Amino acid sequence: MFNGKAVILIVEDSPIIRMSAVDLMESAGYVALEAGCADEAIALLESRNDIDLVFTDVQMPGTMDGIKLSHHIRNRWPPVKLVVASGNAIIEEGSLPAGSRFFPKPYDGHAIADAIGLLLAGEAL
Amino acid sequence: MSNEPIAHFEAASTIAVVVSSNEPLLFLTEDQRVIAASTSFCRAFAIEPATIPGRPLAELGAGEWALPGLASLLRTTASGSARIEAYEIDLERPGRETRRLIVNARTLDDGDSARVRLQMAVTDVTDMRAEARLKDDLVREKAILIQEVQHRVANSLQIIASVLMQSARGVQSEEARGHLHNAHHRVMSIASVQRQLSSAQAGKVELRSYFTQLSESLGASMIADAARLSIAVTVDESSVEADVSISLGLIVTELVINALKHAFPDQAKGRIGIDFHSAGKDWTLRVSDDGVGLLTGEAAPKPGLGTGIVDALARNLDGEIEVSDAHPGTSVTIRHRAGTRRSASHPAAE
Repeated sequence: MFNGKAVILIVEDSPIIRMSAVDLMESAGYVALEAGCADEAIALLESRNDIDLVFTDVQMPGTMDGIKLSHHIRNRWPPVKLVVASGNAIIEEGSLPAGSRFFPKPYDGHAIADAIGLLLAGEAL
Repeated sequence: MSNEPIAHFEAASTIAVVVSSNEPLLFLTEDQRVIAASTSFCRAFAIEPATIPGRPLAELGAGEWALPGLASLLRTTASGSARIEAYEIDLERPGRETRRLIVNARTLDDGDSARVRLQMAVTDVTDMRAEARLKDDLVREKAILIQEVQHRVANSLQIIASVLMQSARGVQSEEARGHLHNAHHRVMSIASVQRQLSSAQAGKVELRSYFTQLSESLGASMIADAARLSIAVTVDESSVEADVSISLGLIVTELVINALKHAFPDQAKGRIGIDFHSAGKDWTLRVSDDGVGLLTGEAAPKPGLGTGIVDALARNLDGEIEVSDAHPGTSVTIRHRAGTRRSASHPAAE
């Protein structure tokens, strides 16, 4: 991390929600990267080694949804923290890797920022 | 006995009962020759009635009733050791759709124990089964569709909430930011109902968990110091229709925003209470605070959009608003009495 700021990768197929999430992360003092699907996210994770946390949607086009993506990340890059949001309110947190946080959509920006702050500070769960 | 011709005559009344049965019915000898068949049987399975009497079951029609399993069960039934209950067979005929049948058979008990005769009832359940399958498919499709709609609604609300929050972060004017935050709270308030509904039974929203979720969401975004200001929810077991819950949620949202903005200018500690209870069709909603109390004259805030929303929604719910001094603080009570309705066309709380 060249500037000491945590790097957050946002994975979201809706451009407006993604743009706003980027703005939220930047105003909370993080560096935000963006991907429109799981494949783009994996390409980014492979190309750089400074990503601290992935904030992903669940329902997305492409080969993987957000749940599969979060398991893939947990296996391949275990230190990367995970925050998952979905429009399906009754998603089983049990279907996500241990230690990841889940938020139903529409989420409150403050709640997401708080959760990310805690995860990055290593106080999660 | 099976080599002998049928030597006995059946009572004409027995034959008449069989022939006129609504349910397809066969009357058989011990060795499975047909004594009589109901008209309904002949019609349902396209068998010429005149060809039936005396003919073995296995030779009816084009021989489609020659089913080893059925013959064996009928033999067991005739010997008295069992009876056929709801035995399912597939009747296959060339050039026709296979029919799924349910067969019930038993010996005729008419006091003549020397001569065994069987009655065999046949029900065609092909269409019923197909309908049940269709219904199952429809129920499954509907569940998928509802999930899809809920997902879309959540995503659309997320887009609105995201845009409002981003705009709020972007504007310079404190007043404009306040308005955008309030708009965001209103969207989140409606979103909470949506979330409650997706896990609810029959479109009812349980108010305790809804108001709790609502107060947590308002607190998370409006209360900077949780040790200073708190929101307490006291709600009974009430559940209301979705549209009533949206109105109640928006009223609570406006009153809580108002209290957080005006009630505690310099207080070291403050508490906001959300109370709801119902008895039959009557209900009372109260949002109270222990802040500075009602401001009058110059200091009183001008009625804004929030006040307008509360007035309009309370009127729509046939609720009477009462604002009172709570010593300390302010209490806003909205009472609905089933007898005092002004407009006729809206659902009441239950």
